[in-house]
Amino acid sequence: MKRWIGVGLALLLAGAVVVAIVLGGGGDGDGGGGTKDLATVRGVIGSEKKPFFDDPQVQAAFAKHGLRVEVDTAGSRQIATSVDLGKYDFAFPSSVPAAEKIKQDRKASQTFSPFYSPMAIATFEPIADVLTKAGVVRDSGSGYQVLDVKKYLDLVAKGTRWDALPGNTAYPARKRVLLTTTDVRTSNSAAMYLAITSYVANGDDVVNSSAQTAKVAQTISPLFLDQGYSESSSEAPFEDYLAMGAGKTPMVVIYEAQYASHLFAGDGAIRPDMRLIYPSPTVLSKHTLVPFNDRAAEVGRLLQEDPEFARLETRYGFRTADPKVFADLVASSKAGIPGGLVDVVEPPTYEHLERLISTIEQRYLASAKPSS
Amino acid sequence: MRLFTGRRLAAAALALLVASATAACSGDEQDPAKQDGPDVLRVLAGSEVKDLEPLLKEAAGAVGVRVRLTYTGTLDGAEQVASGGADGHYDATWFSSNRYLSLIDGAPARLSTQTKVMVSPVLLGLKKSKAHALGWDTKQVTWADIATAAREKKFTFGMTNPASSNSGFSALVGVTAALSDAGEALDRAQITAATPKLKEFFSAQTLTAGSSGWLADAYAKQESVDGLINYESVLLGLEGRVKEPLTIIYPSDGVVTADYPLTLLASSARKDLYGKLATWLRTPDVQRKIMTTTFRRPIVPEVRPDQRFGSAQLVELPFPNRRSAADELISAYLNQVRRPSRTLFVLDTSGSMGGDRIASLKQALSTLTGADTSASGQFSRFRDRETVTLLPFSGRPGVPRTFTVPEQGPDPVLRQIRSYGDSLSAQGGTAIYDSLRAAYDMVTLQPSDGDFTSVVLMTDGENTDGSSYEDFAAYYGTTPRNVRTFVVLFGDSDVEEMGKVASLTGGATFDAREGSLSSAFKEIRGYQ
Repeated sequence: MKRWIGVGLALLLAGAVVVAIVLGGGGDGDGGGGTKDLATVRGVIGSEKKPFFDDPQVQAAFAKHGLRVEVDTAGSRQIATSVDLGKYDFAFPSSVPAAEKIKQDRKASQTFSPFYSPMAIATFEPIADVLTKAGVVRDSGSGYQVLDVKKYLDLVAKGTRWDALPGNTAYPARKRVLLTTTDVRTSNSAAMYLAITSYVANGDDVVNSSAQTAKVAQTISPLFLDQGYSESSSEAPFEDYLAMGAGKTPMVVIYEAQYASHLFAGDGAIRPDMRLIYPSPTVLSKHTLVPFNDRAAEVGRLLQEDPEFARLETRYGFRTADPKVFADLVASSKAGIPGGLVDVVEPPTYEHLERLISTIEQRYLASAKPSS
Repeated sequence: MRLFTGRRLAAAALALLVASATAACSGDEQDPAKQDGPDVLRVLAGSEVKDLEPLLKEAAGAVGVRVRLTYTGTLDGAEQVASGGADGHYDATWFSSNRYLSLIDGAPARLSTQTKVMVSPVLLGLKKSKAHALGWDTKQVTWADIATAAREKKFTFGMTNPASSNSGFSALVGVTAALSDAGEALDRAQITAATPKLKEFFSAQTLTAGSSGWLADAYAKQESVDGLINYESVLLGLEGRVKEPLTIIYPSDGVVTADYPLTLLASSARKDLYGKLATWLRTPDVQRKIMTTTFRRPIVPEVRPDQRFGSAQLVELPFPNRRSAADELISAYLNQVRRPSRTLFVLDTSGSMGGDRIASLKQALSTLTGADTSASGQFSRFRDRETVTLLPFSGRPGVPRTFTVPEQGPDPVLRQIRSYGDSLSAQGGTAIYDSLRAAYDMVTLQPSDGDFTSVVLMTDGENTDGSSYEDFAAYYGTTPRNVRTFVVLFGDSDVEEMGKVASLTGGATFDAREGSLSSAFKEIRGYQ
């Protein structure tokens, strides 16, 4: 697996080198935006940031600073473990634990965390109502609804099916009540959900020992395994949610930014019966850039400090250091998104999160499914 | 500079390349790497997406991407991608689902970006009068209701072979998940527990096929069953082609849905072409065209499905997350659940079959006895409970040998078939129609009790002895006309006349003149 990623990236890089030689030949530019004067900086990023980097306005903003940023995508776990980072100027995973590991491995001196997004749940009003009656969803008292993770875990432990929930006429499906996630073995959003559920299963404490990992894995493995097949990238299940509705995906774990970006764009993808709620507790997916050279550090600095970039980042639903930029966009687009979240916990360190994921991975490999 | 030159050359050669792309689509064996301009995206696809060809031609003008599709079966394609066999020959894959593929060890690393293009659930379409008689046109129906009606022999249906085609596999997963009453993904124990119920359900299946399109065509030609389990898109597309309209049943306990992900191979250097095509396919205009011309639901939220898709909420049933569970299910279906097969092989052993040709035939037969240990090989072997007759012929029909593979412990009988095949030798003339008639005589003398009965005719040349095609056609008219002949074109087959045999009996031809005889035999297994 490792080797294949390496080869794939090597091929991509071979192409990029040619581009860099051709484009980079002109030396420092005059800032006029002519592409021939730009210095190419290459990064490997989590796939959810690809639309941001592909945006012509973002590219134009980099060009103003003499930079041309090219990106390849990979899962955050892959970026931290199997991707050959030697071919890149920076890595930009979607979480602090992955960035920590990369910083350590590459002995990077600094990191930038220009934006973040809380983990959220996209669902539908009738589903939220059913779960409210079941005591799993409640009002946070701060203008948004939350899913009580402890109560949700109790429901899952009992193997509860949708049609067994009291007063559920809206979604009388025979299948189990399970949040849809991506594949925890490859995708960061599922790993962030793992961070949340492991915290609760560990008695409201961040997992920080092997003994806790083993114990907690017992409770939380079914959250992933019992879903059956899950997709490898964060976009896929959210796309199903938007296009196919509650039948396929009654509730899906997403980055808040995925939902918010559609609201901000006013593209009609979010229909009136759709709801954004938050797990309680939740974690923040802090997109963290690890630069391997000065040019890449400049990319990180611009993303983190330049107000023009902050505005562009917010359009993609990300929250930046200045909460006002996000709040203004929420207000002007009349998006029902809370200004801040109360119940936020920290993810485990890279080491412990990785150990949790590998424990679940072992269960996928086991020929018989663990009883749940 | 070089890029532009290349583009202009490619544009000038457009007509030529379109011609060669068409040739490739029709299944000619050509090295895909040789005929590609810089704007060609080489896609290994399931035959399910064939109906998009007219639309894909527009991609050349719209975004400068020419799409060259090469078709393969679901499992074959999955194995090809997972083993790396697709690398370098193709840039992308386009199957109706990546789920099975993603479960194979090593496959996920070969796949890069995946873009869902459209959606179609696998459903039951039933003749209107039958649906009405069952009361299914007015009330909610579950798979359990359908299984009960099947047990009571109230209707019959056709479905593709789950080892060859995704619609059959999706249906099998959906029906099993619903009948097992498991709320979570299927595992081995649940499959075993559901097997008796599955047997009842599939006792109503009296038509099978290796591809969804062929199944629909066969149904449209001769409405020999009461309905089909197939993609919603195929069922909707049958409207106007059938005498009696189909009522589409949306089982309320759930379905399995195809999402047609156009998937970039990690090895491809044509990432930009892929990106252009994927983006174009998801533009609202193209999504609307897909919906109106191929009856698939759009994947982008801006385009809403129109009223023909109905308003039923489609609950998605969980799909297995381990390959072992998926394979277990296919194997249970083939060897325990479905009606048994009765298969007659009419095999040319005339003098012209000597040397390499008879060796290929022996190898092909050996493949079907389980010598091919790949998943697709195992799923195409002679099945438990299957009755296999080998009828070699030359200047006259030889002595038929019949083997019945037992329900348990198939290996000794499979070995017997293999050694019988190995004992064949080539000499003499070619009495095709006397021999084919001998096979039909056997079937007529011993009518089978609801088995899937079919004939395979393999010949490498023209008819030299005995009765003619016209004689056979006249004879065939006197039989119950319910046994299909699948013809393998080989060596110097008379293509036109063989085509007539296939169409007379409702069968099909499989071309092994360029490819291997084993592959053709494996492909035919999907129809038996």
